[in-house]
Amino acid sequence: MTSSLTPLIVPVGSAGTAVEEDTSTSAAHGLADPWVTIVWNDPVNLMSYVSYVFESYFGYPPVKARTLMLQVHQEGRAVVSTGGRERMEVDVQAMHGFGLWATLQQSGATGAAGAQGAA
Amino acid sequence: MTPFRAMRRGYESQFEPVERAVLAKVARDVVGLLREEAGLGPTAPQPATDPASPWASAEDGRARAGSSRPVWTTGDSLRSPDDLSSLTGPTDAELARMTGLTGVARVPSDPAVLRLLPDASKDDPDVAAEFRHLTQADLAQSKVARLEALADLLDPRDAPERALAQAGRHGASQPVRVRREDAAMISGALNDVRLVIAERLRLDSDEDVERLTDQVMWENEAGNEVPVADDERAAARFWAGVFVITGIALESLVDVMLADLRRSAGMDPGPEPE
Repeated sequence: MTSSLTPLIVPVGSAGTAVEEDTSTSAAHGLADPWVTIVWNDPVNLMSYVSYVFESYFGYPPVKARTLMLQVHQEGRAVVSTGGRERMEVDVQAMHGFGLWATLQQSGATGAAGAQGAA
Repeated sequence: MTPFRAMRRGYESQFEPVERAVLAKVARDVVGLLREEAGLGPTAPQPATDPASPWASAEDGRARAGSSRPVWTTGDSLRSPDDLSSLTGPTDAELARMTGLTGVARVPSDPAVLRLLPDASKDDPDVAAEFRHLTQADLAQSKVARLEALADLLDPRDAPERALAQAGRHGASQPVRVRREDAAMISGALNDVRLVIAERLRLDSDEDVERLTDQVMWENEAGNEVPVADDERAAARFWAGVFVITGIALESLVDVMLADLRRSAGMDPGPEPE
């Protein structure tokens, strides 16, 4: 697989937009995609830093990034991207690069549904 | 230090010489931890511990038998008290040198390093192991590179004691300037430093972090200096100060990075976090 070649540090305003199309399109089709990336709360991570990561890496607009950040902070976790397993491995590696704790799992697995707000 | 501000040539902040020296030293210590735990092996000689550094007294080895999880122990100031690998067998780094292999993807035994290189699955060990095998060496190498960049930015001479010695001779020091293209790297390194210190300070909840921050800020406003550590309690207080300063640096840097990012993307910034 190719994830090990993906740069961990995404230049501000460049690669983030390249990722945006892929992940946000996938997220719109939620259940059709078998894997999700979940970011977990860490009391050490600054709220503004988490927002910055979601905006710069995923290319999410500020309002969406803030909503996800608050979900992580208040509910303990949030699904931040959806797609195929390899795509999610790339996203998880990027999140770990930023210092956020992220995991991947199949979207139908226990916990993923709750993380998406169904539970 | 002063908060980072957006300037023409980058983001700038004024650090006190002791802040530069201490943060650079911490960043280099985290590099050492990562190299050892991730099996990268030292590619550059580690600077010898300087007995005159503000760290030395804290490294004197006051770890007491029976004391649970001292903030630090003998040897490397950030080394985990649980790390007994040197007694039980070769480290990953030693194995890598012996076998010529790098990227031995063992789960880090040090909880602080595990926080930098966490599991990619909570309940599927196979997914976590495969992910670690594929990514850990690259991830650790990337973190090492940007921690070294942070250390070099703060203290390019690789000699913290000289910066300390000059503190009295020079009034205002040069600002720390983070070029815009380096800002993501530097902010990531600052975040990693915070994660490691938080693990050593056992900050496990939002309340822990808030209480510690309030305490440090209160003492700061009361005019108390960040003390030179001379016992375990003072050491913890010293680390708390380092943790808070790192947080101020990171938060102010991220604020100006976000403002630039949103401006360049032509985005409506939306409601600001309080």
